[in-house]
Amino acid sequence: MKPFELIKVTNTKTALSHKKEQVQYIAGGTNLVDLMKKNIHLPDTLLDINDALIRHIDKKDNRIFIGAMVRNTEIATDKTVLKELPLLSKAVLAGASPQIRNMASTGGNILQRTRCPYFYDITTSCNKRIPGSGCSAYEGENRMSAVIGYSKDCVAVHPSDLCVAFVALDAQVHVIDTDHKKSIIPFQDFHRLPGNDPHLDNNLPEHALISFIEIPENPFARNCAYIKIRDRASYAFALVSVAAALHMQGDRIIDARLASGGVAHKPWRWLEAEEFLRGKNVSDLVFSQAADIIVGDLHPLAHNGFKSNMLKGAVETALAQCLVV
Amino acid sequence: MRYFEQQHQPPREGRVEALDKVTGKGKYAAEYKLDGMCYAVLIGSTIASGKIKNMDLTKAKQVKSVIGFVSHLQKPEVPGFASEAMIKASRFGLPIFHTDTIYFKGQPIILVIAETLEDATYAASLVEVEYETAPFNVDFESSYGAVPMKEAGKERGKLDAWSDAAVVVQEEYNIKPEVHHPMEMHATIAQWTSEDHLMLYDKTQGVNNVQQVIAPLFNLKKEHIEVMSEFVGGGFGSGLRVWPHVLAAIMGAKQVKRPVKLMLTRPQMFIGTGYRPASWQRIKLGADLSGKFLGIHHQAKNETSLYERFSDQITRVTRLIYNFDHLKTEDALVPLNINAATWMRGPGDCTGDFAIECAIDELSYKLKMDPLDVRSKNIAATHHPDNKLPWSSNYLLDCMTEGAKRIGWKNRNAAPNAMREGDWHVGYGMSVGMWNAGRNKTSAAIKMMSNGQIIVQTAMTDIGTGTGTGMKNIAHELTGIPRNKITIELGNSNLPPAPSQGGSTGMSSVSGAVVDAVNLLKLKLAEYAAVTNLKFKDAPEESIVLSETGISLAHEPTVKVSYSDLWKTNKLDTVVVEATSAPGEERKKYAFCSSAAHFCQVRVNIKTGKVKIDKLICVADGGKIVNEKAAANQMSGAAVGGIGMALMEERRFDHRFGGLIGDDLAGYHFPVNADAPIIDVSFIGKPDPHINPTGAKGLGEVGIIGTAAAIANAIYHATGKRLRDLPITADQILS
Repeated sequence: MKPFELIKVTNTKTALSHKKEQVQYIAGGTNLVDLMKKNIHLPDTLLDINDALIRHIDKKDNRIFIGAMVRNTEIATDKTVLKELPLLSKAVLAGASPQIRNMASTGGNILQRTRCPYFYDITTSCNKRIPGSGCSAYEGENRMSAVIGYSKDCVAVHPSDLCVAFVALDAQVHVIDTDHKKSIIPFQDFHRLPGNDPHLDNNLPEHALISFIEIPENPFARNCAYIKIRDRASYAFALVSVAAALHMQGDRIIDARLASGGVAHKPWRWLEAEEFLRGKNVSDLVFSQAADIIVGDLHPLAHNGFKSNMLKGAVETALAQCLVV
Repeated sequence: MRYFEQQHQPPREGRVEALDKVTGKGKYAAEYKLDGMCYAVLIGSTIASGKIKNMDLTKAKQVKSVIGFVSHLQKPEVPGFASEAMIKASRFGLPIFHTDTIYFKGQPIILVIAETLEDATYAASLVEVEYETAPFNVDFESSYGAVPMKEAGKERGKLDAWSDAAVVVQEEYNIKPEVHHPMEMHATIAQWTSEDHLMLYDKTQGVNNVQQVIAPLFNLKKEHIEVMSEFVGGGFGSGLRVWPHVLAAIMGAKQVKRPVKLMLTRPQMFIGTGYRPASWQRIKLGADLSGKFLGIHHQAKNETSLYERFSDQITRVTRLIYNFDHLKTEDALVPLNINAATWMRGPGDCTGDFAIECAIDELSYKLKMDPLDVRSKNIAATHHPDNKLPWSSNYLLDCMTEGAKRIGWKNRNAAPNAMREGDWHVGYGMSVGMWNAGRNKTSAAIKMMSNGQIIVQTAMTDIGTGTGTGMKNIAHELTGIPRNKITIELGNSNLPPAPSQGGSTGMSSVSGAVVDAVNLLKLKLAEYAAVTNLKFKDAPEESIVLSETGISLAHEPTVKVSYSDLWKTNKLDTVVVEATSAPGEERKKYAFCSSAAHFCQVRVNIKTGKVKIDKLICVADGGKIVNEKAAANQMSGAAVGGIGMALMEERRFDHRFGGLIGDDLAGYHFPVNADAPIIDVSFIGKPDPHINPTGAKGLGEVGIIGTAAAIANAIYHATGKRLRDLPITADQILS
């Protein structure tokens, strides 16, 4: 890999002031170092921000704040998370491997690059690596690719499991930009669809830092599930995944959340299916109808038509599993 | 860290090399540090076919510690590659650095050498290559149809003799290519210790094979090449060849006149060290209403490279397990712009057996008979069906009986798609596998010291199979010398010669040599003992008894000479014996096989397509089990490999660019622990009476031959869906 300089910073101020061209932040490094080894990212300088940002989970006014440097494993095992946001823990444990989860930070998880074999192969063209060079996957090997929200310029999918749970729970991303201005981006708007400029994965302002993730109080702790279908039982990206959460009153669904990974360039919320579920009494039929609404929106590519059936089954399974308490 | 600095005794029942492995003291090929050693990185071509037009090294040369390059334009002389004809005659395969022709994408074309691995890697990324591209083809599925079949082995009976069979299954089977991916990546450190002496630290399954391949290329005496492979982190067949990177390291070391280390990267492991080739098969299998097989027609094709033809011999196993009065086997090779394929665990048989065992399962359901009974009726239990020699031993029927008992075969609901737990469908499947049990000429030596300690040596490698532990167990059993006084030395070409460890021949071959060496030791010690006690004079080996402390006679245990007296009287230093053991006349009288029965219970989720293997049972006949723990470990490893073959492994291509898709361990899936149950392994354990002095038949292959079929058959039983293409991924289940 290209030689680089590693600078350790201990506060956001220094971190943000260092930021210029060919400088990249590094936290756990579980994605960035791979990309550097593959000559996809070629930074001159890495700013180690592990000591500059928060690494603990707080609860304030019934809202939970997860510091950007909190490790994935720490989310999965945190007592508050397990009690109040078990969906997060389930999603984290469905992802990566214990070794990667021990290293991977929350901020890094959100900022990991989308996944596509052509993006990782610099001998092929890819609009993410070289804008305008063309998408090799659109008419190529696209078994893992998107089934919704893609464009001819990019069919990559966002690989995170944690982000699927974040989007389902209406999380908010707290950021600090280079002018040291703090702002909040709703999770749903954080990641982008590829459109005509797929080299951008998200809407984080250039060189800005994620400081923490805020999750509002919610009634979904009791009835939630995360289902991930993949080519092996662990350490594989999702073919499809489903985060499901229900707020129940007896047999009646007061509120529902459904989101998926492995289907789009961003963690995807199924708002129409959620709306359909609200006010309904649970039954296999209702779950199946909700799944049909979801599947009706899909536009599979040449090699991933199976994702429709699979997603339908995964949605039904996840909803049914929400009721197993 | 302190733990690793202490001196520990190896666990009594564990592997001889266990402590070295878990403490990191054992050195794998890439872990040696030599004075002046530099680092090399291979660059692969980015096109699949064509010619190299130009290589621009300008930018790469600016990287500070770059020392040199090797390519077809700048290279040391390799006498054995002096002409096209010599290259061909060498049978080396890819003429690395001796051609501007590109045969496949990723073909190594330049070696970059620098003081550090980091600099070599960075410099490699700066090399610019211009190509002239040519049309290529990497698409096996659309290409095999055009290649004509040819006979593979002699036809038995007549193909049309069973055209009126009551029940016939005729189906096609496709298996995607699989890659070995041992945990330890292939690596070579090459050091020219003088003009005509070469030292190699190499990851290989056979040190003597490396000598034999390399010696003629450089006009060296093979004894002048020392190959060290004391620790090998898995092979699965990938270490049975000498691959281009080995030659690259040797050429690199010659070029820069320093020791050079070259370790393949994981992506390079996808294209540098072989793979199980993609295959297509068609089976036509006929039986009468009683379930007796009438005939089989087995056709198979496998992909191969353009520069070297490799047949996986897929139909070989068809001629081995069952009695077919009428049998026709045919095969063909499909050359593509891909790297060379090679043997991978259970080579050929694993592929062929999948098709046969699935077809038999399908036939059994058509016959409405128990697949177990159909097999029992047709297994060639007494004689090899091809050469008609009696089996020296064949306990396959016993394996089936035991396996059926362990899984509760008779208690299952025999109807397909009949057992459910919610969205999960439960199914049972079984299959059998067999492998010709081989044995090769092997030497072993024993060195004995005055304190009764012995060192047992062979050049054979231990690729994780437990060779050393097996040797120790045999030596201990035969000499009575306690295990802690026995040291094993192996995996070095200076030790007594041995064949490569492959084809389930390792233990079968080396065990005979150890037995013979022990016998020689007994005779030699008796000779020395005769100096003080004449009763030892000319004593036959079977009457000589060794123990921890001395030598005695079986019929007269009181007649004993201690080792210390023996050494003193004869003024001995170290007593050395070496024996060579090889197969002989028994091979003309008997046929030899190892075999196994595989039983599987799966759960298949009909909504998500998930397949969960609840139970996998493997009962094997490997003759005498010399080292039960390591043997069982080998069998479960093979079974897990079988799960990979059945459910997930696939080397995937982009047909438009000719390259691989997802060439890393995130993109290529082999099973993790969560994909496999605890494999239930057991052995018949009866020694083969003729194969070698210990009766051990070898086990490496039969653990995987049949596993995939047992799983596919269980999936059929669970779902009623007959899936004949591997891997059976969730999308196939849902299709």
